[in-house]
Amino acid sequence: MLYDEWPMTDTSPNALVIDNLSKRYHGAEQPAVDALSLKIRRGEIFGLLGPNGAGKTTFISILSTLLPPSGGRVFMGEIDCARNPRQARRLIGLVPQEIALFAELSARENLSFFGKLQGLGGRALQGGIRMALNAVGLESHAHRRISTFSGGMKRRANLAAGILHQPPVLLLDEPTVGIDAQSRQLILEKLKELKAAGTTMVYTTHYMEEAQGLCDRVAILDKGRILEMGAPKALLADHPQCRNLGDLFLELTGKDLRD
Amino acid sequence: MRRWLAATLKEMLLLSRDRSGLLVLFVMPAVLVLVITLVQENVMKTMGERRTQILFVDLDGGRVARQVESALTEADGVQLVKALDGMVPDVSAARRAVAKGRFQLCLVIPEGLSAEVRKQARQFAIQALNAEGDHAAPTSAVVNVYFDPAVTGGYRSAVRHLLQLMLLQIEVQEKMTQLSELLPTQFEKALQSALGPMAAGMAPDPAAAINLDWTPQPLFEVRAISVAGKATVKPTNAVQQNVPAWSLFGIFFIAVPMAGSFIKERLSGVEQRMRTMPVSYLALVSGKVSAYLLVCMVQFGLILMIGRWLLPLLGTSAFVLGSAPWTLLAVALCAAIAAAGYGILLGTVVKSYEQAAMFGPISIVVAAALGGIMVPVYAMPLPMQKISIISPLAWAQNACLELLVRGGDLRAVATPVVLLLLFAAACMGVAWAMFSRRAR
Repeated sequence: MLYDEWPMTDTSPNALVIDNLSKRYHGAEQPAVDALSLKIRRGEIFGLLGPNGAGKTTFISILSTLLPPSGGRVFMGEIDCARNPRQARRLIGLVPQEIALFAELSARENLSFFGKLQGLGGRALQGGIRMALNAVGLESHAHRRISTFSGGMKRRANLAAGILHQPPVLLLDEPTVGIDAQSRQLILEKLKELKAAGTTMVYTTHYMEEAQGLCDRVAILDKGRILEMGAPKALLADHPQCRNLGDLFLELTGKDLRD
Repeated sequence: MRRWLAATLKEMLLLSRDRSGLLVLFVMPAVLVLVITLVQENVMKTMGERRTQILFVDLDGGRVARQVESALTEADGVQLVKALDGMVPDVSAARRAVAKGRFQLCLVIPEGLSAEVRKQARQFAIQALNAEGDHAAPTSAVVNVYFDPAVTGGYRSAVRHLLQLMLLQIEVQEKMTQLSELLPTQFEKALQSALGPMAAGMAPDPAAAINLDWTPQPLFEVRAISVAGKATVKPTNAVQQNVPAWSLFGIFFIAVPMAGSFIKERLSGVEQRMRTMPVSYLALVSGKVSAYLLVCMVQFGLILMIGRWLLPLLGTSAFVLGSAPWTLLAVALCAAIAAAGYGILLGTVVKSYEQAAMFGPISIVVAAALGGIMVPVYAMPLPMQKISIISPLAWAQNACLELLVRGGDLRAVATPVVLLLLFAAACMGVAWAMFSRRAR
C-alpha cells in the first residue's frame, strides 16, 4: 500500500479539502464549476451526481490535476494540488470515463506500463499487477489484448489500471457505464473492499441506485453548483416526498432534457 | 529514465503490433526505392546509358552508306540492327517496326545517296575553285530518320544531332576528296597559263599528296566530367539519387503513424490517464519520439542495404555509401527528428485520426515533390525551384546529395542540418503551445 505517501505530519481526518473551487472555460458564459467548497473524509466514498454538463467531469479533472482551477484551491492532505501537482499525483488513481488503455496491448502489458509510470518496479510492480488483475477477475485473461475484451472486461481492466498502485485517493468517472450486470456487481464489490481498506473515493455516476447503495455521502450538482449534499439516507429524510435518490435528483435538477 | 524507457518500450511494442503502421514504415519506402529506382534506371538508360538500337536500312549500298554504317558501328552507345526477323527490311517494314515500338528509330539511307553526295560535293569543289563544269548550286541530299512517336523530344533531339554530326563528317570528307581531285588540274592550268610550255614538268603535284586520313580526326574533343568541391566524382545515377531520396521520404512518413498514435492516446483517454501520473509529459513524449527515431534509423539502414545489395541483383548499379557514412547517418537522424517534430505537431493540431491519415500523407507527398524526391529540383520550372527551398525534404535531400554525389563533409551539410533541427524545434514549440492552451 502506498498510504505512507501521505505526509506523516498530516493528522487531518480529511483526504480532500476543496475550497471555493471555480472553473470557467475560455469563452464560456457560465462557469463549469462555481465556488464549490467541501471536505471529503479519509476512507469515504463520495458520490457526485448531476445531469450532463453539471460539472462532474470538470471537477474530477481538477482533482486529478489535469485542469488548473480558475479560482479556489484543492488540498490533498496537506498538499496543494495546483502548486504541487506531481506530489498530488503520487496519491491519486484515476479511472476515466473512457477505456483509457492501449487496445493492442494485453491487460498485463497495459498494467506493467502504467505501473512503471507510477514508479513501481520489480516485485512491487509484479505484485501490483497480480493484485489488480485478481481484484477485477481478469487474472486468467491477463495475456489477452484489450481489443479482444468484452465491454465489461474492458471496464474492469480500466479499473485495474487505476488501482494498480493502490492509491489512497481514487477518482472514478462513471466507471460502470454501459456494462453487464455481473461486471457492474464485481466492480461495486471491489470498490467496497477498497473502502474497507481505507481508500478515499470520489465517484461520479448517472446510476442513482448505485450511488445510494455505495456512497457514504453524495452531492447533487447542477450548473457547477452543489444543490444538495449529505448521506443518501439523510437527504431522503429531508425530502420525504422522494422515494429514492432518483426522485430527489429529478426534483432538484428538473425533468428537462440536458443535451 | 525508467519511465522514459517504459514509454519507449511500450511504443515499440505497439508499433510491432500495428501491421498497417509497419507497412507504412518499412514496406512502403522499401517498395518505393525498388520500383522508382528500377523505373528511373530504365529511363536514364533510355536517355543515354543503354546502347541505342538503330534499325539501319541501306538502299544505297555505296560508299556513303558504308561510311555511315561504319561510323555508327564504331559510335559509343549505338547498336546497329540491319535485319528484321532474319530479313533485310524495306522502308515500310522498318517504319512499321518503329511504329510498333520495337525500335526507337530507323535510319534509311536512300537509293543513290553516295552518287548524289559525290555529285554535290563535286559541284561544291567546282564552284569553290571556279573550275570548268556544272555551276548549278549544290542541293542537300535527304536522309530520313523515323522515330517511335513515344520517344521524348530530348532524346529525339540528341539522336538527330548525333546523326547530323556524323553526316557532317562524311560531307567534309567527301568535299575534301573532290577538292583534292580538282586541285591538281586547276593548279596545272594556272601554271600553264602563267608560264606556258616552260611549266611542263615543273609543277609539283602537292594536292595529289594530300592525305585525307586526318579528316575524321576532330581538332577539339569535348569530354564530360562531373566535378565536386574537392574531387572528381562519378556522375549520379538512379540509385545514388533514389536511395537517399526515398529513404528520406520513408523517414518523413513516420509523422503519420506518430501523429495517429498521439491522437489515439488523446481520444482514448490514455493521455489523460498518463497526465495524472507522477511523470512529466515531456518524458512520455520523448519516449515515444525515441521509439520512432529508432525505427527511422532501422528503416534507413534497411533501405541503404536494399540499395547496396538487392538493387544490383535487379540489374542496377550498387549504392555507394560515400566517404562520410557517419555524417550521412547524422543527416538521417536530423531528418528523423524533423519528421518527429512534424508528427508531434500533426498529432496535436488535427482533431481526428481520419484527418491525420488524410492530411499527413498529402502534406508529406507535397513536401517530397517540392523537395526534389520525385523530380530533381534542377529539372523543375524556376518558380518551383524557388519554392522548393521551403521543404524540409529538400534540405535533407540536398545534404544527402552533398555527401553522396558531391563528396561533401559535415561542414558542407551544416546549413541543411541546422534547418532540419530548427524545423523540428519550431514544430514542437507550436505543438507545445497548442497543447498547453488546450490543457487549460
